[in-house]
Amino acid sequence: MVKKMNKNDSSFFESRRTFLKGTAYTVAGATLAKGVFSTVIDTPAMADELKSIPLSNGTPLHYPPLEEWDSFKELDGDDWKRGGTGRNGVESEENANGIKVNEFMLVPTACSNCEAACGLTAWVEVGKYKKTGNPKDLFVRKYMGNPLHAGSRGRNCAKGYAVQSQMYDPDRIPFPLKRAPGSKRGEGKWIRSSWDDAMKEIGAKLAKLVKSDSPTAKKEFIYHVGRPNENGFGPRVPQSLGLDGWDSHTNICSAGAREATIQWANDDRNSPDFAGSKLIFLQSSHAGDAGHYFQQAAGRIADARKKGAKLVVMDPRLSNSAGMADLWVPVYPGTEAALYLYLTNRILNEKDINGDDLVNHNFVKNWVNWDRLMANKEYLALLVEKKYIKAVPEGDSYEDFIKMISEMYSHYTLDFVVKECRVEARTIEKLYDMFIDAGARISTYIWRAGTIAHRGGWMNGRTAFLPLVLRGAMAGDIGGVSMHHWHEISVNGRGEKATVAGKQPAKVDAWNDLAWPPEYPLSTYEMSHMLPHMLLDDEWRNNWNSKGLNIPEKISVYVPRMYNPVWINPDGFRWIEALKREDKIELSFNLSPTWSETNWYCDYVLPVGLAGERHDQHSSPTQPSRWLAFRQPALRVALEKLGWEAKQPSRGTLEAHMAAGLGEIWEEVEFWATMMVEYVDPDGSLGVRESWASKKDPKRAVTIAEWYDAAFDNLPNLKKTASEHPKYKEKPYPNYEMMRDMGTWLEEDNIYRPQEKALRKEGDAYIAHGHKYSVDEVEKDQFGTLLVEHEGEKKAIGVEVDGELMQGFHTLSKKLEFFSEWFAEWKWPEYAVPIYPKNKEERKTMIHLVTQVHHDYMEKENEFALNTVFRLPYNIHTRSVNSKHLMEISQNHNPVWINTEDAKRMNIKQGDAIKVNVTDTVTGLDSGYFIAMAVPTEATMPGVLANSHHAGRWKLKNAVDIPGFSHQLGVMGLGAPLYDMTMDGKIGTLKPKEGLKDAMYERRDSWQFKEFNKDLDNIWWDGLSGAWQNAVAPSHPDPIAGNHAWHLKVAIEPAGAEDTIGDIYVNYENNMKVMQGWRDKLTRPLQVGDTIRRPRHMKRTGPALSHEAYNVEIKG
Amino acid sequence: MDIKLEDIEMRRDIYALISRLMITEVDEEFLEIIEKNSEMLNLLPNYKAWGKRKEFSNKILKERYYDVDFTNLSLLHLVPYETFYTRDDQMIESGAENPILEIYDALNFTVRLEEARVISGDHIGVELEFMYSLCDTMLKAFEEKDNDAIHEILLIQRGFLKDHLLNWSPMYLINMKKESRTPLYHDGAELTLQFILEDYEYLNHQLKIPLVEKI
Repeated sequence: MVKKMNKNDSSFFESRRTFLKGTAYTVAGATLAKGVFSTVIDTPAMADELKSIPLSNGTPLHYPPLEEWDSFKELDGDDWKRGGTGRNGVESEENANGIKVNEFMLVPTACSNCEAACGLTAWVEVGKYKKTGNPKDLFVRKYMGNPLHAGSRGRNCAKGYAVQSQMYDPDRIPFPLKRAPGSKRGEGKWIRSSWDDAMKEIGAKLAKLVKSDSPTAKKEFIYHVGRPNENGFGPRVPQSLGLDGWDSHTNICSAGAREATIQWANDDRNSPDFAGSKLIFLQSSHAGDAGHYFQQAAGRIADARKKGAKLVVMDPRLSNSAGMADLWVPVYPGTEAALYLYLTNRILNEKDINGDDLVNHNFVKNWVNWDRLMANKEYLALLVEKKYIKAVPEGDSYEDFIKMISEMYSHYTLDFVVKECRVEARTIEKLYDMFIDAGARISTYIWRAGTIAHRGGWMNGRTAFLPLVLRGAMAGDIGGVSMHHWHEISVNGRGEKATVAGKQPAKVDAWNDLAWPPEYPLSTYEMSHMLPHMLLDDEWRNNWNSKGLNIPEKISVYVPRMYNPVWINPDGFRWIEALKREDKIELSFNLSPTWSETNWYCDYVLPVGLAGERHDQHSSPTQPSRWLAFRQPALRVALEKLGWEAKQPSRGTLEAHMAAGLGEIWEEVEFWATMMVEYVDPDGSLGVRESWASKKDPKRAVTIAEWYDAAFDNLPNLKKTASEHPKYKEKPYPNYEMMRDMGTWLEEDNIYRPQEKALRKEGDAYIAHGHKYSVDEVEKDQFGTLLVEHEGEKKAIGVEVDGELMQGFHTLSKKLEFFSEWFAEWKWPEYAVPIYPKNKEERKTMIHLVTQVHHDYMEKENEFALNTVFRLPYNIHTRSVNSKHLMEISQNHNPVWINTEDAKRMNIKQGDAIKVNVTDTVTGLDSGYFIAMAVPTEATMPGVLANSHHAGRWKLKNAVDIPGFSHQLGVMGLGAPLYDMTMDGKIGTLKPKEGLKDAMYERRDSWQFKEFNKDLDNIWWDGLSGAWQNAVAPSHPDPIAGNHAWHLKVAIEPAGAEDTIGDIYVNYENNMKVMQGWRDKLTRPLQVGDTIRRPRHMKRTGPALSHEAYNVEIKG
Repeated sequence: MDIKLEDIEMRRDIYALISRLMITEVDEEFLEIIEKNSEMLNLLPNYKAWGKRKEFSNKILKERYYDVDFTNLSLLHLVPYETFYTRDDQMIESGAENPILEIYDALNFTVRLEEARVISGDHIGVELEFMYSLCDTMLKAFEEKDNDAIHEILLIQRGFLKDHLLNWSPMYLINMKKESRTPLYHDGAELTLQFILEDYEYLNHQLKIPLVEKI
């Protein structure tokens, strides 16, 4: 047969030639296709009913269907190994030898171990509870992903799965702790307290503050938040008290990057569409393997690469991402701007292979504010004076603008970049080719590293966006870059309709100078890394008070929340010094689920819940859509679904956790509502109570169901679905109950080119920012911007582009601002366009843009730039320490990386202890040193050391005795070794005394939750994973963005005989002077004649302020 | 350009048939559809005449003959991936460097590799299904009387045949025909080769591209 078939049968051939002429087969033909293609075009846009709620696209993971989440039975993970049910049957009363079957309730929640808000499901074992009715029989067996979550698609990173080990940490704080009366802060003497006792003392103190008529009282409260991991609840706390008391951690995290997007788009951060891009262009590994929102971002990047996209990672260090990239560009840290302007130069001055311009003129002409720059002849003259351009252009057309900037950036040549960035020419040229090949489909996430680590780091962000703007990649289209506020949902603080007030608390009429000091009117976020310095700097305070300000001498109530400022901020000894001063910080309490270095110096430690133990609405801009995750206390939800009820409905989470044996673990929403209603303003006379008391039952605080049902009411698609769905429409809280079941929601998908949305118009009024503006009151300026009068000022509400009225970007011009006019007016005109010094002379005059670790400053052979700002993907800044799982995989992963050539030159070998001395390049002062282990490697560029600042935890006692508690309570037993500390007001030292292993085993009999942490016996590490280098680093406030510039100039030498890895020696007296040097030599503070504190259009985080609060008068 | 609805439907259906045949093992449903359709059987003359079709059930034929042959032809002895034929080192490019992926991506097509059970988007079955998908898109364009779109799709299909399928798959298909041990895959290889050659002529004709342009 086969031979016969293979004969060249001409008639067979002939018959083939009639396919399109005569063959009449059409029946079911098309259904044969396998269907292996999916297209972007066919993706459903939005969920309009529950059955079409988009399950994460194409997830290969297996989860039970949603209908089975309340009761899902699964063979026991250990027991089935005995032979399975085929041999033994299922365990029952009749069949004792059968295989155990677990009954789970899957409670959806959201991870809280970074800012990404990936979905989780807590697998609550409910089988036994159903039999016994004893809530203590409930426990969470494991945490998995949430397959309904549009961002994380059922997947999680190591930190997500670690939530179970955090929940059952043997050293978990089980109840409120209070510093023992008569002891001093830091002595480590604690007694057991209760939530009500703590609230009574704190509430009275807050009430006193609210009542006070002291001119500084409204500034004496600071609610200091680590990663908020929620959207909008926190600032409501000080706002409802009428206090301007809010500090975020952001100026040690990402404020440099945000300054750049604020200047371009008046938006807090960029938001790429990795999945649709052709080139993923990362500055640092942040989105790829460690930082903001890496698990979700990495998945999208992988999706894009599967389709052929290329990955470029610019980083002095060969990170995991760089290692798997198509191109690694090791740029000397802090010089990235030079490289971006080189790309800009070539885009402006070269043509593509067809001889066409590389600039996307259509986008640039319509969406960049070039017209305002060309109309401002005075500013153009300044550009000439600064030698950025040769002459003021004669015309003011778009073509004149392009011609002018083509000249302006022509000096950023290949030769210049090779020298400035210390990158090989061929690498840079390859990068350029890849950049051009990708067209407008280039995605990036400009975040930490280059933007936060350096003085002028914000300009690394500002310049990074310029080539993307010119290529049209900033249009927010498929595969490009958009802005975050279009991709995020913030309703966590919007439950006001459930309260007696029925509206948001009034705006606050005060300005907290400790958070927003007058030297930094343009700081992106609060100057929180300098908080203790400012508190202790009498001269500074007196100077400003003599000019008419009212800077407080003390903080009455200081509240770190899920935050460890002592350890994570620079100059940690200064923080300890301030916290120890009871005249400077009168009362402090940390809302913290775990022990931390900061808790040690607080008056109260109030244990709030981890990811599966609290309520938050959390959303992050991880893709061009708007999704939310709903964090929930798994044990409480399981109990309530099975019929349990709290005695006090506004304390449900606390009561549930106590009932289930987790401890007196609470959560912020219920805590603050109860605090305000029962302790701060019980009779309502202060006007605080109404913002927190329940509308339904004004005698008590608002409940979770009431609050979130009202909050979710602000999302039209969610509301519509819940109110129409048969399962929820008759329920008292349909929105809340639907989210309780699902834990996530996709409100809007496929958000592309959002700035082009038509300006909303109803009748004779335009709608913008929640307000209606009559057509008559709207005027259009010469550049097409639509303006209205708002609180006495002009406000832009839209823009005309190509004859269409569009919503535009959030800037004053409604376009992307190449020229930041307001920035020029606020004392920094020379940096109001993207620019970077081109030679040593310019680096001196433009010092604000030059990194403190620039190679100009490295004069001796043993001097290096120390790259500190890279995350380790398994660490959570400070909460990894209570997860056995995470600590186990973190060990010995934080040496000092040194290039092999440098190591050879200095005779440093693998494992050698080296002394890393820190010196400031502004003041020339030494800060001290830390001792660390060296690892020679080619994975860091010559001249640049790398050592992550995310390791080096410490404690001063292994465990504490709590009177009335049956055994000692361990302190960070799984991750922090024991240290000896000295500090005398000038010099501070830490020296490791003992690893953690022996101390853990010594108190093995008193571990909490041992039954859920079965491998606790297997602790094989001793915990010395790095020195506390953050304490050695002085605070380096960027003179404009205000962020702490993390990188350090260091000189290294072999450690001495008496030195041990982990030692630190800090001259924190010098560190204070370094901070003062940066502040006093480099900033341009408010001065006589200034009338407002900060540009009104610029986001100011924390409570909403009244118009008047911005006003200021500086006296001569 | 003289495009008829039935031409588009015909092309779409034949691409559906041959892509399905090439992409993964046949299943009983597929075999039943062929059996019930005499026009289809006519396209597979040796298969049509094969005695074992009458002797055994489709289930047995699949298990004893077709799956064994498919494994030989696409996994063990032959390599149905474009890059195997086009790269000097004869390695399959399963990563992002595969040029075929850029084409799919440019048109917003994503290959679900796990669905196709192939290691790369340049598998012959996937490339044929890409042609099928374009026919399907063309059908929509035809319904909407969008001649510009039809013209563009014709250009894409011609380019894809010229630069990709016809550039390598004849080598594979000729080998497949010779190596095949069942008339189903023998005829399938023959049918595929002849059809894509014919289709290329058709596309040139529609686009009025002179024959000298042909490969």
